[in-house]
Amino acid sequence: MSGPPNRRVPIRVWQLLLAIAFLLSWEWGSRSGALDSFFFSRPSDVLVRVWGWTVTGSIWPHLMTTFVEAALSFAIGAVSGVILGFALARSSFLAALLDPFIRVGNALPRVVLAPIFLLWFGLGIWSKVALGVTVVFFVVFFNTFRGIRDVERVIVDNARMLGASERQLIRHVLIPSALTWIFSSLHVSIGLAIVAVVVGEYLGASRGVGYTIAQAEGVFDTTGVFAGMTVLAAGVLIVGAAVDRLERWLLRWKPERADAVL
Amino acid sequence: MSPASGPSAITLRGAARRFAGYTAVQDISFEARSGRFVSIVGPSGCGKSTVLNMIAGLLAPSEGAVEIFGVPLAGINRRASYMFQQDALLPWKTVLENVRFGLDLRGCPGRQAHDEATGWIERVGLRGFADRYPYQLSGGMRKRVTMAQAWIVKPDILLMDEPFGALDVHTRLRMESEILGLWTEAKQTVVFVTHDLEEAISLADEVFVLSAGPASRIVGRYPVDLARPRDLLEVKLEPRFHELFGTIWSDLRQEVLKSYERSA
Repeated sequence: MSGPPNRRVPIRVWQLLLAIAFLLSWEWGSRSGALDSFFFSRPSDVLVRVWGWTVTGSIWPHLMTTFVEAALSFAIGAVSGVILGFALARSSFLAALLDPFIRVGNALPRVVLAPIFLLWFGLGIWSKVALGVTVVFFVVFFNTFRGIRDVERVIVDNARMLGASERQLIRHVLIPSALTWIFSSLHVSIGLAIVAVVVGEYLGASRGVGYTIAQAEGVFDTTGVFAGMTVLAAGVLIVGAAVDRLERWLLRWKPERADAVL
Repeated sequence: MSPASGPSAITLRGAARRFAGYTAVQDISFEARSGRFVSIVGPSGCGKSTVLNMIAGLLAPSEGAVEIFGVPLAGINRRASYMFQQDALLPWKTVLENVRFGLDLRGCPGRQAHDEATGWIERVGLRGFADRYPYQLSGGMRKRVTMAQAWIVKPDILLMDEPFGALDVHTRLRMESEILGLWTEAKQTVVFVTHDLEEAISLADEVFVLSAGPASRIVGRYPVDLARPRDLLEVKLEPRFHELFGTIWSDLRQEVLKSYERSA
């Protein structure tokens, strides 16, 4: 394991080795008593638990619930963010009028809304969706706004000289420009949507991965907590890979990725 | 292509344009007759683009009037195409989609737009590049796409704002020849803005000189009586070219010096 990184060995191998080293030392630590296995569990137990959940199928409804909630919050948050972002970018009066309210809304830590949403929308999925929407909305809103405001003047002028009406300008120039920003923030907004709904589930639900984790925590089952985290991380990685592919295809005209505003 | 409505394609009468706090151009009286290739030269920052934008209808004059084929201009000039100095292609459209863009905006049937655009892509020497995106092309190739995009809509007037400023000398010469070739076929009215007097003389029928900004005016108007068709490599060797250059340069030089003093 010593010596400089070898170019013939792909970075993936090194990454895998690092992960294995981490898990082995964790395993060793908890078996030798250096780590208290009550608080830290051990990788082999977590693995067995995840495997158990998978083969009995008991985890699927929870995972499904979490991802449905995240998908709904993303869809609703993105659509409302695009619409409002578009409206404000096109109307400086609206932008000036709503600016302080949007600032206040964005400054509010979204977690504090969870209890109120629980009261309003109940223990079902909609209180989590509402929380997710408040997170996704702002990311998409700011990126849409910026995308439309940042469109290059000369491209707009060129389209107008070539005969574009106001509506054609929106379709051929403004929307594609905004999409760049929206899609480059896709990772962030989907990740945040999942975080928000899991937090919502954790605070009060009858289903979902967040609920599973909260249940395990309630009985001091650290193995269950780690297993819930593992399942969630795996799910997020798979969604992330899918988003990556979609993004690469949609932004194929771009030489490199734009940085999104968070 | 040349309309029966009269010999004047573009007329500016006493046009001025002010921006917050300063006057960019003033008292611009300018005429380009139909089918003529007209150049506007002047030191940098003298408001050449402002004049062009007023003809394009992208800027309304603060004073005076713009007439296009005898009709007062209101809003965008629908009879003109514009080749911008900067990169103005739509980066999310392929070469083909960019070239056919003007036809698509006019509701031209898809098949016809495709065929015409393909024809233009070949004409500007980009066969095989139809499916590339602008970022995958060199600067010269992007300019060719821009040319096809501007020309495909068969405009009566072509406005060019230092279109080849960013290109290397050789590419530039080739593009100028191609512009002249296309113009010789279609005979639109061309207004070509540049700070390069050699380029202006070798291309144009007539050269207008703008004074140093702010508040630039037209300080000279020179017909260029060099024979056509012109070979751009040869024309610069002709004695008449040097005479014209000397005459116009003596005026232009003062303006360039003034603009140096003001910016120093």
